Amino acid sequence: MRGYLAFMRGAMLVGVVYRLGFLFTILGNIVYMIIAYFLWRSIYAGKETLNGLTFDQALLYIALGSTIFILLKTYTDWGMAEEIRSGTISVYLTKPIDYQLYNLFGTIGFASTTILTVTLPTVIMLLFVFRIHFALGWGYLFFPVSLILAFIINFNLDYAVGLSAFYTESIWGISTTKEIIVSVLSGALLPLQFFPAAVQQVLMVLPFQAMFFTPLMMVTKPDQQAGVFLQMLVVQALWAAVTYAASRLFYNQAIKVLRVAGG
Amino acid sequence: MLTLGEYIRLYFLIETQYIKGQMQYRADFLISSIGMFFSSLATLSIFVVLFNSIPSLAGWSLMEMVFIYAFYMIAISPMQILFDAVWFLRMKVQSGEFVKYYFRPMNIMFYFMSERFDIKGLTQLAAGIVLLVYASIQLDLVWSVGKILILFLAVFSASLVLISIAVMAGSSAFWVVNSYPVLALAWKVREFAPYPITIFDGVFRFAFTFILPIGFIAFYPAQFFLRPAEISPLFYVTPFIGLGLFALTYKIWELGVNSWTGTGS
Repeated sequence: MRGYLAFMRGAMLVGVVYRLGFLFTILGNIVYMIIAYFLWRSIYAGKETLNGLTFDQALLYIALGSTIFILLKTYTDWGMAEEIRSGTISVYLTKPIDYQLYNLFGTIGFASTTILTVTLPTVIMLLFVFRIHFALGWGYLFFPVSLILAFIINFNLDYAVGLSAFYTESIWGISTTKEIIVSVLSGALLPLQFFPAAVQQVLMVLPFQAMFFTPLMMVTKPDQQAGVFLQMLVVQALWAAVTYAASRLFYNQAIKVLRVAGG
Repeated sequence: MLTLGEYIRLYFLIETQYIKGQMQYRADFLISSIGMFFSSLATLSIFVVLFNSIPSLAGWSLMEMVFIYAFYMIAISPMQILFDAVWFLRMKVQSGEFVKYYFRPMNIMFYFMSERFDIKGLTQLAAGIVLLVYASIQLDLVWSVGKILILFLAVFSASLVLISIAVMAGSSAFWVVNSYPVLALAWKVREFAPYPITIFDGVFRFAFTFILPIGFIAFYPAQFFLRPAEISPLFYVTPFIGLGLFALTYKIWELGVNSWTGTGS
């Protein structure tokens, strides 16, 4: 366990090297929020609610959604693909290290720097600059757990995409396709309430809603009964377990095709 | 120095070799092309879903938005296909490999950009053309030879704006080395180009027209074909904005190339 914590620390330190990068990421998120504000203002065009969401709720949903998107974008799949393509993966395979856990802890390390440098400043800005109204409710208590579960599901997907490098060597295509499918079907770009009822029913049985829609609902509509949130968490936990098992199975298959040239 | 004809011949030679090299990643190429197609579809599906709940966006109908978006897809293709190398500048600058571009008797920007030719961008171009034709049929737009020529000029100008924004962001690598966050920022902002610039007011409309000129990527040019009656005078300056921005970008690139000191390796 201590070994894995060292990987986490290492990833954090690597993250801090590019301090200037955070500045641009924060700036990018600010520009995004300004554009989102105007876009959603003209979408609402004076209407009180749309599909059960007020303008404030929709804006909070979109702004926080983009912040979580940055948090979950850890480039784990890219790092893995590079290790697999170049053959450095053999370093980890010959040591008593679980490759999935090694990557998980590295990803947690990377994400912790993002929380401090991008997520917190953004949330502070939402509170004081955009003066978004946060309603009170149970949702906030469940949100941290929900975010962790979303993080795990996202990691499992990234890990599976990274593993596909065993077959294709370059993963641009798979990674981009995954990102697009996730951002549309998870409700990261548009609250799922805006989708037609039939489509919504389909989306709710897919794992993607557990990555964005669920944690975002806990903050945009926090004043629901605790039981509702508990049920959401159970669904998320289920998806976390299923995606974990699936990506582990995939690893056992994919590792068989590995060929590393020389040493 | 080489003549234009020699540059063109050279470009074809380099690209042929590059495409041959890329064919070793056949599976990724296939999936990338499909991914490119889906990514175009994603924004479109967001439009369609959104317009389920609202009749119009700042006075623009769904089909008009589809037209603007199709124009945007076409305008972005030259950047995607010909200037994709800009994403890799930071790696070459970091490793010092960039030094090789100084030792050839040809334009450095040409040599550097010619090293990549993004075939999958052709999927996006094709999808954009199909969508533009579809939207203009649905909107009953009347086309003439003159209008088609203006369309070409408008696409050319808009492409220059996009290329300039990306190359400028990428060139920051000469000074800050890791230009990825700068590029990612530019890339994120241009995603909003297909939305009507009229949703912004006051200082922000000014900013997105003149400081971060995303209005010139799709909205101002497309307006000419959609609503010629209420066209903004800014449409006519689009070619000048495009050319001016590209000239500025080239200056910044040259400044970077000249000030880069290498890695010493």
